[in-house]
Amino acid sequence: MSTIVWNREGVVEDDRWASNGEESAFVSVDEAMELAATGGSDIGVLVEPADDVSRLEAILDRLAIVALDFPAFNDGRAFSQATLLRDRLGYEGEIRAVGAVLLDQVPFMLRVGIDSVETGHEPTARRLTEMRLPGIDLYYQPSAKPAEPTNTYSWRRRAAG
Amino acid sequence: MYRYDEFDRDFVSARVAQFRDQVERRLTGEISEDAFKPLRLMNGVYLQLHAYMLRVAIPYGTLSSRQMKMLAHVARKYDRGYGHFTTRQNIQYNWPKLADIPDILEDLASVEMHAIQTSGNCIRNVTADHFAGAAADEVADPRPYAEILRQWSSLHPEFSFLPRKFKIAVTAAENDRAAIQVHDIGLQLKRNEEGEIGFAVHIGGGQGRTPMIAKKIKDFLPEAHLLSYITAIMRVYNLHGRRDNKYKARIKILVHETGTEELAAQIEAEWAHLRESELRLPDADIARITEYFAAPELAVRAEGWTELAAWKKSDPGFASWVARNVRPHRHPDYGMVTISLKPIGGIPGDASADQMEAIADLAEQYSSDEIRVTHEQNLVLPHVALADLEPLYRALQAEGLATANSGLVTDIIACPGLDYCALANARSIPVAQEISERFGDQARQEEIGDLKIKISGCINACGHHHVGHIGILGVEKKGAELYQITLGGSADENTSIGEIVGRGFEPEKVTDAIETIVSTYLSGRSGTDEAFIDYYRRVGAAPFKEALYGDKAEAA
Ligand code: HEM
Ligand code: SF4
Repeated sequence: MSTIVWNREGVVEDDRWASNGEESAFVSVDEAMELAATGGSDIGVLVEPADDVSRLEAILDRLAIVALDFPAFNDGRAFSQATLLRDRLGYEGEIRAVGAVLLDQVPFMLRVGIDSVETGHEPTARRLTEMRLPGIDLYYQPSAKPAEPTNTYSWRRRAAG
Repeated sequence: MYRYDEFDRDFVSARVAQFRDQVERRLTGEISEDAFKPLRLMNGVYLQLHAYMLRVAIPYGTLSSRQMKMLAHVARKYDRGYGHFTTRQNIQYNWPKLADIPDILEDLASVEMHAIQTSGNCIRNVTADHFAGAAADEVADPRPYAEILRQWSSLHPEFSFLPRKFKIAVTAAENDRAAIQVHDIGLQLKRNEEGEIGFAVHIGGGQGRTPMIAKKIKDFLPEAHLLSYITAIMRVYNLHGRRDNKYKARIKILVHETGTEELAAQIEAEWAHLRESELRLPDADIARITEYFAAPELAVRAEGWTELAAWKKSDPGFASWVARNVRPHRHPDYGMVTISLKPIGGIPGDASADQMEAIADLAEQYSSDEIRVTHEQNLVLPHVALADLEPLYRALQAEGLATANSGLVTDIIACPGLDYCALANARSIPVAQEISERFGDQARQEEIGDLKIKISGCINACGHHHVGHIGILGVEKKGAELYQITLGGSADENTSIGEIVGRGFEPEKVTDAIETIVSTYLSGRSGTDEAFIDYYRRVGAAPFKEALYGDKAEAA
C-alpha cells in the first residue's frame, strides 16, 4: 500500500514533506516555537488534535506548511483547527491533512481551508488519483475556503467556478 | 410549511447520488463495514439486530399530506407495511434492504424529505414544539429558526465529526412541549421589552447514562446572532469535548467538567470574533423563511361551538376524546387534535401504511394539509375546526386511531428495546403493552389523570425514562431482564430527573409494581386536581417505597 500526497491539481510527486514511511520531516508545535525563536524558518509543523493553534500566530511567517493530524476518521478537531488557522489567524500557507484521511471527508477538508492530503488508504488514494471526489457543490453554510454567494439566503454558498 | 427551492432540491439529489455511490462501494467490498459505518450513519442507516434500519428526518416534526403518503409508500414497498414514529420526531423503518436505501431516499427526495444527519456524531434533526404555529400560548412560531438551523447544519464541514451526536430543540412557549432542557442546546424563543425576538440559550442537557438538566448561558440572544452564537458553541465543543470515552463525550460532560461559567466565557470569547461575521442573519432572510410558515387561512366556523356541545352530550366516548386529545387553538373556532399512536395494548409509535394514508387524507380534508409528529410518539392535526371534530373522530375510529388517552397512563413512550435494538438489555415494547392493557379502562385512566410513563431498554435512555413521571429502565442482572423504576422525572419547563425508587423488578412483576405506585398516589392525593407529579413533589418517594417494598425497603 503506497501513500500519496494529493491536492486539487492531482497527485503531488516527490513532495518534500511526504512521510514515505520514513521519519517525518515535521516538528511539533513546541519544537516549531523553539526553532522560530532561534531564527529558524521554512518550518513544517505537525499540529496534534489537542494543540492550541493560536500559539502559532506569532510564527506564521516562519512556517512552510502546517500538517493537521487526523488520528482517526471520527476525530474532527482538525476541522476547527483549520478554520481557525485561516479565518482567525489569517494563515495563507499550505495546510495538509495527515493520518486517517478517508475519501468522504476530503471535500469537507477542502472547505475548511486544507489544501492537500496525505493518505495511505488504498481506495481513497485510487479515487483521488482519478480525481473522483464525492463532494456536493452546494453549501448551506460559509466556511474558511471562500465560495460564491447564492441569490437565495445569506448563509448559502456554491463552489467557486 | 417550508418548501424546497431549487437549491434545496439540487442539494438533496446530489446527496442521494453521493450515498448511492457510497452504498455501491460498500456492496462491492471497496470499503469495509468499519469505513462505511460513519457514512451510513450520516444518512440515518443503522445496523440493527435483524436488519438495517433507516431513520428519516421529519424536520421539527412538520409534515404535509403528500409527505405522509410517501412515508406510507415507503412502508409498503420497502418495509413490512408499517413505520415507527420516534421521540425525535422522526420515523424509523426497521426492515429495509441496504441495496434499496438509495431508491428509498430518491422517493423521499421527490417530496422534499431526506435522512441527512438523523444519526452520526453531527447536528441531528432539529426538533420543536409540535403545536408550533397553532398554540395559543406561543410568542412566535419557532419553526423558521429550526429551519434556518436545519439548513445551516446540513453537511457542515467543520461540525460533522463532533465528539458525539448533537441535538438542538426549540420552543416558543413558557409551557415547554419540546423538552429543551434535556437537549445539547435548548432554545427558548422570547421577546424583549422592545418586542424584538431572541432566544434564551440553554446548553448541556441530556439523558443517557448521565442525565443532566441544561444550564442557561444566555438570557437573550438577538435572533440575528443565532448562527454566529451556535457556531461559537459548536466550535468550543468540537475542540474541547472529550473524545477518550464515548459516554463522556456529550457537551453535558464538558459543561459539567469545565463549569458553566467558565464554558460560557469561552463561548462568549469565541462569539466575539464571529458575531459580526457573514453568519449574522439579515432581517430579510429571517422574514423570507418566516413567510413559509404563515398560518393557514382559517375560516370562521362559529357553528362548531354549539354542535360540539351537542355531540359531547350524546356520545361520552367522543366527549372523552375531545377532553383528552383536543387542545385550544389560537383561533377560537379551532382545536389542535392529537392522534394517539398508543392504542390499548399496541406498540407505541407504530403506524401502518394504511393508517398513514388515512391520516394524510384527513389532514388534507380537515387540517389545512398539515400533520405534526410529537416527541411523545403521537401525531397531531394542528388546525381542525371544532365543527369538524365529530366527522374526524368517526374517521379516526374506523382506523383504530381514536384512542382518547393523550397524556394519560397508557400514553406510554417506549424505545424499540430488545425486540429491535442491538444495544438493549431488556424488552421495552411488551412492558408497555402489558401496562397499557392493565390500565386500558377509560374511566380508570381518566380517574388517574395526567401521568407519563416512559420506558427504555437500556441506559441510553432513548425512551426518556429519566424524565418520565414514572420511568422504567431495563437492566440486565445475571443474564436476566430486570426493570428499575424511577419516580418524579419531568421534561417540561420544570424539568427534573427521576429518582430510582429501589431494587428492580422481574419482567412479570413490573405491571404490578406500577399498579402499586398508582394506587399509592390515588389514595394519597389531596384531590383529583393534584396530578401524580405534583403529589410526588409534595410527598417524595417515601410512601411509594413503603408500598413497594414494605419493611424491606432499601435504597438502590
Ligand atoms: C434502535 C436503534 C437505536 C440505537 C442503536 C440508539 C442508540 C442510542 C445511544 C447509544 C444513545 C446514547 C447516546 C449518549 O448518551 O451519548 C441514545 C440516546 C437517545 N436516543 Fe437512541 N437509539 C436507537 C433508537 C432510538 C429511537 C427509536 C429513539 C426515539 C424513540 C431514540 C431517541 C434517543 C433519545 C431521545 C436519546 C437520549 C437523549 C440524549 O440524547 O441524551 N433512539 N440512543
Ligand atoms: S434505550 Fe437502549 S435499548 Fe432502547 S433503543 Fe436506545 S439503545 Fe436501544
